[in-house]
Amino acid sequence: MLAIDYLDKRLKKKDTVSNGDAVSTDIEISIRNLNVSFPDKDGGEPVNALQNINLDIKQGEFISLLGPSGCGKTTLLRTIADLQQPTSGEISVRGLSPREIRLQKKYGIVFQNPVLYDWRTVRRNVCMPMELMGIPKKDRTARVTKMLELVGLMEFGKKYPHELSGGMQQRVGIARALAIKPEILLMDEPFSALDEFTKEKLHEDLLRIWKKTNKTILFVTHNIQEAVFLSDRVVVLSPHPGRVSAVVDIELERPRSLEIKNTPEFNEMVVKVRKSFESVY
Amino acid sequence: MSKTTNKRNGKFRTKSISTILYPVLFGVIIVVLWQTQILHKIIGADTFTLPLPGRILGIIQDNVPGIAKNVVATVIVAVGGLILGSLLGYLLAIVATIFPKWGSGGLTIVSAFNAIPIIAIAPILNNLTKDFSKDPNIRSMLAKMLVVMLTCTVSMSINAFRGFNELKPFSEDLMKSYAASKVTVFMKLRIPNSLPYVFTALRVSVPASVISALVSEYFAEYIIGVGRQIRENIVLAQYATAWAYILVACFIGIIMYVILLITEGILLKGRR
Repeated sequence: MLAIDYLDKRLKKKDTVSNGDAVSTDIEISIRNLNVSFPDKDGGEPVNALQNINLDIKQGEFISLLGPSGCGKTTLLRTIADLQQPTSGEISVRGLSPREIRLQKKYGIVFQNPVLYDWRTVRRNVCMPMELMGIPKKDRTARVTKMLELVGLMEFGKKYPHELSGGMQQRVGIARALAIKPEILLMDEPFSALDEFTKEKLHEDLLRIWKKTNKTILFVTHNIQEAVFLSDRVVVLSPHPGRVSAVVDIELERPRSLEIKNTPEFNEMVVKVRKSFESVY
Repeated sequence: MSKTTNKRNGKFRTKSISTILYPVLFGVIIVVLWQTQILHKIIGADTFTLPLPGRILGIIQDNVPGIAKNVVATVIVAVGGLILGSLLGYLLAIVATIFPKWGSGGLTIVSAFNAIPIIAIAPILNNLTKDFSKDPNIRSMLAKMLVVMLTCTVSMSINAFRGFNELKPFSEDLMKSYAASKVTVFMKLRIPNSLPYVFTALRVSVPASVISALVSEYFAEYIIGVGRQIRENIVLAQYATAWAYILVACFIGIIMYVILLITEGILLKGRR
């Protein structure tokens, strides 16, 4: 273990020297030899959720974690978010630990369901994280308006969550995540509960928002088409134990619109990603 | 409760008509049977033990100041005990949430208190508070309030504890991702989340507080209150007066419940 750490550090040092500072700061999230295991409920051997994950994510990159259920993709996201502790290995985000980044409130997280507080209106839901950060009320109001504009929900600010459709609720969740100007947006299957039409609309919205805000986005999904359409790179995870089985560069032009899904290039990419699964199973 | 296609208005309207009109109709029928003495024939009573509604209302009319004095005493006990008990229950729930290992187990023990009948506890509390004040009215008031408090504490503590802990999935994670402190999680998440549960508790506690106030008055040292008047007048075989107080007791309960429902409607507006 120690030897690996040492080697790792030396390798990193080498990188910095050979490529200069520009490249080393370009890496936003760096994951080295990450292992996460959960204690077995029946008292048996611990279950390996993630085994030896190594991954570098660049600043401003849209990256998808793709895999079937149980492959640990959500666990990986939660570990980066410091909602789950690694068993061994290292995650460094801008040279800091996930915990430090979380305490600095640099993460915006969108969960599988919108997690809106039903006693708050849409506006006050978006406002909530800013209240926690002690941002003055005047700034909060202006920011909320801007965020609702961004996700196209200007007229719905005074509504309560249950008065909105599922897609609208998830958009409120995105607005809330972006409200505190996070550096990194972590999205855990945010659209999996939505119908296909709403999903496609939100895909386009998300790409537009991503382009406008230039955030690094980590997107967990089990949908190959979704991963290909959105991402710069798709990280394919395989289960038991969860590990990276392939990283596929998505060489499709940007900006992307829904029409791209009808092109042979898109299908090629989908096939390429799917094949990387087949090689595993 | 028939389902109509026009969901919003139709359903609401038919529901509110059926929930208000039918009980009122039933009440009117009973009163008519009662006043015409058909009811007496059915249950085999006479107008001495079951006086006519007109007579009962007449007694209420003639004794407004006296009744008012007793109503005030009962309401103070019921509302005072309700507030104290609910606050204590809420505090217990907060403590139980802060110390979850002991908390849920502790609340199970608290709920055992609910199994003790009021009739058993009222005389004991009377005895325990006899040194509290020289004024028998005040020390009786305390004893009565404690009885009401005990009945209200349990339902509040159990419901509020659920309200603090039955959170939507990921809502705690969301708070954690913003590095929120435990206090902030309480203020922004647990307490607002507990509000509907508080009203669930109050829907039980409000009627219970009136009933336990009435019963505790039976055993109190100082003779005052609607419940005590019911007892005294039955003992003196003044059934019409006793019935007048029974009617008044019903109104106290109904009015308090209506106030609760209105408050709930205002505070839980917008929630599903």
